[in-house]
Amino acid sequence: MSGPNSIRVAVICSSNMNRSMEAHAFLSKKGFNVKSFGTGDKVKLPGNAPDRPNVYDFGMSYDEIYNDLLTKDKQYYTQNGLLHMLDRNRRIKPKPERFQLSKDKFDILITCEERVYDQVIECMESRTPEDNQPVHLINIDIQDNHEEATVGSFLICELVTVLANSDDLDNDIDELLHEFESKFARTILHTVVFY
Amino acid sequence: MDPRIHRRSEPEKGPGDLVVEWLNEASLGSNDTVKVSNLLKVQEILIHKEPQLLNLYLDEALQFSLDRNSEVRKTVAGFIEEAGAKQPEVIPRMVQTLSRLVSDDAPLVAKRALRASGRILRSTLKWVASATLVTPEMETAWTQLSSLKVQIINMIDSDNDGIRTQAVKFLEGVVLIQTYPDPDAPRKLEDFSLEDVPLTLKIARRRKLEEEANHVMDLLIKFHGSPHVSSVNLMTCMGSLALIAKTRPQFMPVVIQALQRLQHDFPPTLSDSQVTSVQKQLKLTLLGLLKHPASIEFASSMARQLSQLGAKEQEIIKAYPKPEDIRRMKKRQQESVAAASAAKRAKLEVPIAVASEEPEGVAAPVQPAKQPEVTELSESFIAERLSVEIATDLVMGSMARVPDIMTTVFQREYQPSSSADTSVQRQTIAKLLAAQIKQSKTKKMKKETKEEDAVMEDLVKNPSITVAEAKRERKREKDREKEKEAKASIEAHEKSLVKARNRLKALKLSEVTKPLSKEIREKMLLMAVNRILQAEKIAVHGGVAPVRSKILTTLAATFNPYIKEAVLRYITDDMRTRLELALGWLYEEYALLQGFQRRTTLCTKPHEAPHQAYNFLLCTLVSAIDLIQGKDRDTLLSRLYLEAPLITEDAVEALKMVSSDETRGLAPLQLLKEMVIRRPTKQLVFLNVLLCHTGHENCTIREAAIQSVVELYNRPELNKLIEEYAVLYLGFLRLQSPPEIVFGQDRGRPQPEDLWSESTTRTCLGLYLALLTEHQDLIHELARVYTSMGADVKRMVLRLVEGPVRSLGMGSPQLLALVENCPKGAETLVTRIIHILTEKSAPSAELVARVRELYQTRVSDVRFLIPVLNGLTKKEVIAALPKLIKLNPIVVKEVFNRLLGTHNNDSGVPHTSPITPAELLIALHTIDPNKAELKTVIKATSLCFAEKQAYTQEIVAVVMQHLMELTPLPTLLMRTVIQSLALYPRLSGFVMNILQRLILKQVWKQPKVWEGFVKCCERTQPQSFAVILQLPPTQLSEALKMAPGLKAPLLAHVESFAENQKAHIPQSIMDVIQGKSLMEAHDEFDIAPPGDYPLEQQADCMEIDLSEPAPPGLD
Repeated sequence: MSGPNSIRVAVICSSNMNRSMEAHAFLSKKGFNVKSFGTGDKVKLPGNAPDRPNVYDFGMSYDEIYNDLLTKDKQYYTQNGLLHMLDRNRRIKPKPERFQLSKDKFDILITCEERVYDQVIECMESRTPEDNQPVHLINIDIQDNHEEATVGSFLICELVTVLANSDDLDNDIDELLHEFESKFARTILHTVVFY
Repeated sequence: MDPRIHRRSEPEKGPGDLVVEWLNEASLGSNDTVKVSNLLKVQEILIHKEPQLLNLYLDEALQFSLDRNSEVRKTVAGFIEEAGAKQPEVIPRMVQTLSRLVSDDAPLVAKRALRASGRILRSTLKWVASATLVTPEMETAWTQLSSLKVQIINMIDSDNDGIRTQAVKFLEGVVLIQTYPDPDAPRKLEDFSLEDVPLTLKIARRRKLEEEANHVMDLLIKFHGSPHVSSVNLMTCMGSLALIAKTRPQFMPVVIQALQRLQHDFPPTLSDSQVTSVQKQLKLTLLGLLKHPASIEFASSMARQLSQLGAKEQEIIKAYPKPEDIRRMKKRQQESVAAASAAKRAKLEVPIAVASEEPEGVAAPVQPAKQPEVTELSESFIAERLSVEIATDLVMGSMARVPDIMTTVFQREYQPSSSADTSVQRQTIAKLLAAQIKQSKTKKMKKETKEEDAVMEDLVKNPSITVAEAKRERKREKDREKEKEAKASIEAHEKSLVKARNRLKALKLSEVTKPLSKEIREKMLLMAVNRILQAEKIAVHGGVAPVRSKILTTLAATFNPYIKEAVLRYITDDMRTRLELALGWLYEEYALLQGFQRRTTLCTKPHEAPHQAYNFLLCTLVSAIDLIQGKDRDTLLSRLYLEAPLITEDAVEALKMVSSDETRGLAPLQLLKEMVIRRPTKQLVFLNVLLCHTGHENCTIREAAIQSVVELYNRPELNKLIEEYAVLYLGFLRLQSPPEIVFGQDRGRPQPEDLWSESTTRTCLGLYLALLTEHQDLIHELARVYTSMGADVKRMVLRLVEGPVRSLGMGSPQLLALVENCPKGAETLVTRIIHILTEKSAPSAELVARVRELYQTRVSDVRFLIPVLNGLTKKEVIAALPKLIKLNPIVVKEVFNRLLGTHNNDSGVPHTSPITPAELLIALHTIDPNKAELKTVIKATSLCFAEKQAYTQEIVAVVMQHLMELTPLPTLLMRTVIQSLALYPRLSGFVMNILQRLILKQVWKQPKVWEGFVKCCERTQPQSFAVILQLPPTQLSEALKMAPGLKAPLLAHVESFAENQKAHIPQSIMDVIQGKSLMEAHDEFDIAPPGDYPLEQQADCMEIDLSEPAPPGLD
């Protein structure tokens, strides 16, 4: 029961591009049963000007986005790493997924930003209660850039490992999170939501 | 049909057998994983696949609840949950197992069982409620469940955090199931509430259930407010309360109070980050509640609370109820007040009345009028309804009855509320009121008829009210009863109206609607679009044409391809009137393409280039316009091209195609030109197309394109470019064969050729020549290129250059400069140019000067002079003559034409030549034999004679006269004489005269002339006999020797003379004639004097012979 596979984890950021995918990649490498999501209305990626982001619908595949950016400005997007990121993503799964549309159930949801955390709560509350299965929602703030995403994925992995090793997670989680917080000097948000 | 097809491959392994097999394996095996998986398989079969087997194997499955492994027990809990949900009939057999599992030692199992319990409870109640007859099993199950409820309620104090959490969720479920739903909110399908429990149900009375729910609710609130609650429990509880408050608005005030209490009093056990989380949760919960219409009364205090929690102003405002909602709510309250009769205090009971009225009036007539239960009048019930209006009414109503002096009881018992909190005060008042109403109610029901007693009792129990007041109270109670009955129907109607309105207001679309399937959505969308499309006239009449257009363009640009197609078809059906719409759409697509709009299309196709949609649309429109026949086509096309925000490459290509089609006329070319001017960013592209057409095979297109380009050439920003293009193409002429670029479909020459043709030469030269007139400097480039052209090309160039050069005219300084600096190898060109210039008019002095300069200093090719011959002086002409006549006969002829002005005098300009025909002929005769061969001169003179117009009889005579006087005599004199004579036989007299004079000039001294003389005499016999006879004897015999044929006729002539005439002939002559030997005695000088006579005679003769007037030179 307490193997890493038995615990279902979802990593959620805004666009299901950088932070969640970085953690997804890392966690699945470590053998966890992990999925990743975004909560935004659209998939947003930086464009060649701050006020002109590249916006895509959820449902568009990484491959398509990759090719789109390739045609737009290959050099620029290679240089800022977007193409590399998309390339990694399309090896992991076909397309960004929107959390609000997902019907999967998890034991732990990890968000990368407070806004995303709020959106997840809002989404879960707006659903009709089904079977009251609890799920722990944890937020670790990660800035949306490559370096922080990498650091964040380590943190998330650390946390998930700790949580996965608990025999009675519901009972222990407060303590485990407290330890984690003091160990990494990070403030995290935690709540329980129900399916 | 073969029945075997339907037979199972292993009939002995039916689902039942499989279940047995799995269950056996599970019970015998020690492997927990196998057990779990087998149980899951069994669950699948029994519950979903073969439900009829469930009854049979249920007990066996439940046996596993005693398994040692917690995971197995957990699975059993899941099994129970599923089984209960699908087949509630088996619930009675499972409740005990479930109860055991709930109290399981392993938290994992307990939690799962708790979850299952929630659903089982629901299923049971549903089952019981829907059953027509309550069976004993149901009753047992219900009883067991009730005890399970108690068991779980106690678990809220469990040591395990997770179990507490699940317990809370269970209790939440209890409250939700056992209370009435929000009458204003639309019902959800899966929602189950007290409303669904039939009133007739004995084992589960509505009232009891609600009571229980209220109790549980109190428990929850208590738990929520407990000081040592863990953060997870607290947040769970908070969520549960919020959910309850939202779906059961009657609890809204309590919940909000609980939340408010929490904010002031956080559990001290929470760590910092937990506090943050909890605060956050609280904030979100409050925001959620604020949005709910039931919380409208508390909006302001909640907003305050939220801002304390650090919620942003914006968030609060967003969630805050709208002013009109508040107003509406207040109005509704007032309406209900009015509707509920004059009795103001009765307002308190109105909701109860509403609750009981429906079954009374409509649903269940058997049910006796249900009196409001005393127990229901709890203080919270009153507190909920104690609004400002009601309080005001209460105060106003009782004001009149307040005794003048404060009663002692009041003095004793009244304690001013110490709290400043409104809600606390409200609670207090509610409590007091509840107590009062309860008492009066009890009394009233017990002793309905004994009003006085009741009043007395009231008085006893409530010393604070007076007797009169109590009486009036009773009276009003009665009145109200009557009134109620009387107005039952009206009220019911009113209520339903109010309810309907309320329901309408609280309708949440998201809750009552289900998403349509994709196909239907698309179909409907398309239908909607089609309707909008068809509503063109209506939209115009209604003055919303622009709106319609905007809607259409937005839909077309952002939705799926079917809509695009529909709109496109609509537009192309009638391009003339719908171009406006098309342009609107184009701009919409453009805006999307440029990212002016934040929204993206709903069906982006990422593999398409970004401007694909725009490009496609534009090109489709272009081709649609192309199909239109008639005059509009060009107008529409130019509108489209000029107004479109962006012209894509494909569109340019399309225009190029269209413009190269001759049948389309010149309008597209004109459009191209317009585009160059009006679309500065794409200027070069269009210019390029236009330039390309300047080399088109088709003459019309080429000329028109050239014309356009020349017009554009005047624009300073373009002229450089056009010039370069022209020069580039001019440069192609140097190549051996025409370059590939001039071939291809767009040039009208699909097949490449190896050799230069007229057409290809024109291609490369046309634009250039057209520019020449505008920009004369360019002429030098032509000369440079010309030197390295092939012979064929040169010839064609010479031919083509005619028009432009002519238009340049002689005065062009650039032309003059070219003539002056003629590059080596370009002589033919320059000659040709000079030729062309002088063909129709006399060369200007300037041109002559330049040519002369060139001729004298650099190129001594006499051909240069030809065109300007007429501008030269006589001397120069004569000097050049020897060289000129050496040229090709055709050229020579041309030269003579020029000099004589014979062939090109149709221009009307009087021909001016430096030299007269006579002078020319004379000059020819006087050419130095060293400079020109005799033969060429002969040819030249024959040419002269060919020009009969110039060389008339008179002129020829003049020439002969002149020549004859020269010394020495020109070699060709006699030849000319003979020719003249052949030409004009009438000149014979004159010729005789000349011959005579030649004799005087001793013509025999010049052998050539002498020979000619003899020949002439020979030809002109018999007239020449007179002349011959005048020759000295020596010469005569010589002449007769040279022309033997002359002798006999001469002799005959002499013989025919009369004797006196014969006497005049000297004997020596006679001897010669008669063939006697020549006598040497006579000197030739002796003969000369007598020659004078016959000359005169001859002249006379001539006078007689010629009927014509004498030649002009003789006068």
